[in-house]
Amino acid sequence: MTVKAFSTEWAGQFKDEVNKSSVYKQAAKGWKWTVGLVVEAEPDKNFPEAKGVVMDLFDGSARDIKVGTAADAQKCDFVITAPYSRWKQVATKELDATKGMLQGKLKLKGDLPTIVRYTKASQEMTECTTRVPVEWPDES
Amino acid sequence: MHDAGAGRVARRKLANKTVTYSDAEPSAFASMLGGLIEANIGNSPAKKKDFDSLGARVGVFVTDIDEGVTLDFKKGTLVVHNGLEPKRDITIRAEADTVMNLSNLRIGAFGMPVYYDATGRGVAAKLLQGKLRIDGLLGNLATLNSVTRIFSVQ
Repeated sequence: MTVKAFSTEWAGQFKDEVNKSSVYKQAAKGWKWTVGLVVEAEPDKNFPEAKGVVMDLFDGSARDIKVGTAADAQKCDFVITAPYSRWKQVATKELDATKGMLQGKLKLKGDLPTIVRYTKASQEMTECTTRVPVEWPDES
Repeated sequence: MHDAGAGRVARRKLANKTVTYSDAEPSAFASMLGGLIEANIGNSPAKKKDFDSLGARVGVFVTDIDEGVTLDFKKGTLVVHNGLEPKRDITIRAEADTVMNLSNLRIGAFGMPVYYDATGRGVAAKLLQGKLRIDGLLGNLATLNSVTRIFSVQ
């Protein structure tokens, strides 16, 4: 079922995809930190207000993923920030998240050795987002 | 007198900085590598020991984003430059994924990188396929191993 991007329904489907992934389960063993995704507003893309995705991830599973404010996401242990259209590029596989971070297109805050140690897990998490059928606000 | 004191404090702070950037606006890649190395040597006395004895100019070029940095190790300090600077001892060229995997190499006996586990085999395969190129390897193997140890987050 197609869901609106960064909606509560989207968060639920994203969580299901993460928990279905055996690759993620294996790669994220030992992970015990929260991750926040800040989706910056782009009013000209019909995305008028910033949103935050708060992910409670623990030892290879997603305990909770919810959509809230950007401030909620900024309180997480790791925070990745980008404008709406960049996140759309990541979710549609136009932009690889690792390359995006090295190029500064996605801004990362948090302990670098930890995030590098879990590169494979973060790549699989990106793969999970691509499996959620999404209705994008700038296309509706 | 007040200004002179302030100057001394400023100089002391600068002298204590282990990792510095030559560019006023370091690239995201430069900040990431510099930050990673700074965190690694802060977390591990063994890596700090390697860092303190390493004097070499190392280039890292990410082929699929067309961006590089030069890491100028000066026995206890590091200057990170945006882009590839001349007079490098070693230059590593690889795709972004492989560069990240280099940081995930485990370090085994005698401080040697482990090439027989999944990550190590992946890196070795890229080397054989020519997707990971290391210029200046001949005569600089010890330097490469030191750099690998300093990079490694494992």
